[in-house]
Amino acid sequence: MGRVGRLAALAVAVVALAACARDRAWQSAEALWQRRDPGAWAAWAKLDPATPDGARAHDALTRADAEYRRGIALLGDGDARARQVLEAAAKRAPLDPVLYLPLARAYHRRGLDERAAAMYRKFLALAPPSAQTNGARRELAALDDDVGLPFEPPPLLSSAPSASSQLPSPLAPALWAIPPAAALLALAGWMLARRRARRTSLALLASAHPELQPAIAFLVGCLRHEFFKHRIVAVGDAIRAIAAGELAESERRFLLMRLFGGEPLAVAWAGHVGAFMRVLGPRFDLVRFDPAFADANRDLALIGSARAALSRGDGEAAQRVLAAQQRLAALDAALGRLALGLQHTVVDGALLSELAADVQRELGMPAVELVVDAPASAIAVESYRFDLALVVRNVLRNAVVAAAKGPAPARVAVDVDVALEPTGDEVVRLRVRDTNPDAVPSPAELTEARGLALIRAALQRCDGSLSVEPAGDGFAKCVVVRLFRALHGATEAA
Amino acid sequence: MSRLLVIEDGDEYAEFARVFLADLEVTAAHSAADALAALRAHGADALLIDLRFDRAPASALVGDLDATAARLFAGDRERALRYLQDEQGTLILADLRAAGFALPALFVHDFPPRRLANLRRLYGDVNAVSSLDAATIRRALGGGR
Repeated sequence: MGRVGRLAALAVAVVALAACARDRAWQSAEALWQRRDPGAWAAWAKLDPATPDGARAHDALTRADAEYRRGIALLGDGDARARQVLEAAAKRAPLDPVLYLPLARAYHRRGLDERAAAMYRKFLALAPPSAQTNGARRELAALDDDVGLPFEPPPLLSSAPSASSQLPSPLAPALWAIPPAAALLALAGWMLARRRARRTSLALLASAHPELQPAIAFLVGCLRHEFFKHRIVAVGDAIRAIAAGELAESERRFLLMRLFGGEPLAVAWAGHVGAFMRVLGPRFDLVRFDPAFADANRDLALIGSARAALSRGDGEAAQRVLAAQQRLAALDAALGRLALGLQHTVVDGALLSELAADVQRELGMPAVELVVDAPASAIAVESYRFDLALVVRNVLRNAVVAAAKGPAPARVAVDVDVALEPTGDEVVRLRVRDTNPDAVPSPAELTEARGLALIRAALQRCDGSLSVEPAGDGFAKCVVVRLFRALHGATEAA
Repeated sequence: MSRLLVIEDGDEYAEFARVFLADLEVTAAHSAADALAALRAHGADALLIDLRFDRAPASALVGDLDATAARLFAGDRERALRYLQDEQGTLILADLRAAGFALPALFVHDFPPRRLANLRRLYGDVNAVSSLDAATIRRALGGGR
C-alpha cells in the first residue's frame, strides 16, 4: 500500500472510530433504556443535540413526554385508552423520572398497587429529600403488604422495540468497522433483553387483570392447600432430622409417604400449574414466564430425584433437598400473601370518585349531582376489587337513574362508615343515597328480581350484602353495601 | 393459675389440656350456658375458648340470629347462622363478660392483630395463640397480654 493509500485507510479508521464513539454513547443510552434503568432518561437527555442521533433522541423525548403525561392523566381517570397511549410513549423514549410520582399515583388510583409501589420506589431512589418525597414515602407505606414483592418492570411498558429502529444512524456505513464479535454481543444482549421483557410474575399478571383475580385466588388456594401444605411444607422437620442424622423410623415413613407416596410430585405440580393456563389462558404459563415458578419446577425435580438418597438417610442429599424445600415453602408463603392481597380492596376517595365518574360517563345525566364523601383514611375491605366495583357501579347506576326521574334538584351521595361488631370484626357500610322517594327496592329486588346474578355472586364471594335503610338529610332512600373490613396487616384497634 | 375452663363444641381442646397441661385442673363446657354454670359452681382462673362451633346445634348458640341476619346479611338467616357458628367463641366471651366474669381468655386462633386489639378493647384480658402447643399456651396464659 502506498502513502496515499495508508493515509486514506487512516482517515477511514478515524471516521469509523468517531462514529463508533458516538454510537457507543447512543448504544449505552439505549442499553440503559432496554433494561429499564432509571438513568436511561438522563442518558438520552445528555446526548448532544447537535449530532443527528442526539437531535432525534431529544425530539423523541419531547414527543414521548407529552404522550406519557396524557397517558398518566387517562390512567388516573380510568380511561381505557391509557394503555395504548403509554405503550406508544414507551416505544418512543424513556420516561422522565419527574413523572414517576404521578404515574405511581395513577396506578394506585386504578388499584394497581404493585406497579404503584414500584414507581414510588423508583421515584424515591432518584429524588432528593423534600416534602414531596416525604409524601411519596407515606403513600408507599400506606399501600398493601403485598406490594413488598420483588419489583419487575410493568409489562405495560416492557414491550418497546429497540429505539435504534426509530433512530437510524446516518453513519451506518461505518458499521463495517465494528468487529463481528460486537455484533454477536449485541445480538446476545438483544435476545437477553427480549427474554427478560417476557418475564413477569403471577402478582403482576393479577394486577393487570383484575377481572381474573377471583379465579387466580381460587387456583392459588388449591395449589397451596392441596399441594404445598401437606406435601412440601409439612416435611421440613423430617428433612432436617435426616440432615442432622436423627431421623426416627416414623418420621422416615412420614417423609417418604408425603414426598413419594400417591401421585408423583412432578405430576401433581404440573396439574396445578397447568390449571392456571387452562383456566386463565396461555399468558399464565407460569413455569415459562414467572421465574419463581421456574425455580420451583427445578426444586421439585431435585426432590423427585432424591428418593433413594433420602431413603438411606444421606445427609448431604438431605441438605440439598432441605434448601429446595425451604425455597418452595417461601413460594407458598408468598402465594399466601398474594391471595390475601387480591381479596382485599382499598376503599378511598380515589376509588369512589373513579366509580362515580364511570357511571356519570356511562349514563350521561349531568342534571344529577353525584357527591362522593370519601372516608378520612383509606379502608381495606374483604372483597376483590373487580367484585366491589361491579356492585358499587350497579348501585350507583340505579341511584342516578332513579334520581333523574325524581324531583329536582336530583342528587346522589356516597359515603362510608365503619362499625365494630361484638365478634371483634369491623363492618364497612358504603351508603348510596338518592332523592327519588319512589320505587324503594327491597333487598331481594336489589339482587334477585332484577336478574343481577353477577351482583349476587360478587356479594356472596365476599360475604357482603345489600340492604335498604332510611336516608335522612334531604335524601329519600339509602342503599347500603355491607362488607367486612380487611383486618390483616392492620395493627391498631378501631 | 391452676383452674382452666375449656369451652368448645367438641372434646379436642379438653383432651389436649388434660394430657399436655396435666398440672392444671381442667373443666369443660360446650356452650355459653354450660360455661356460666361451671363458673358459678367452681370458678376458674382462665378460659381456653374455641372460636368455631360448627358442630353445636343452633339452639345452643348465643347471638341473635334474626338481628344478625338483618344487620349483616340482608335478612339471610342461613348466612347469619354460619357467621354465629364461625364466631361463637367471641360471643360466648361477650356473654361471660356481661355476667361479670373478667378472667383471662385465650383463643387458639390466628387472629389479625387489629381483630385481637378489637377483642381486647371489647373484652379486656384476651389473648390468642395460633396453634395447640402446650408451651405457647402456658406462656400466653401466664403472660396475660
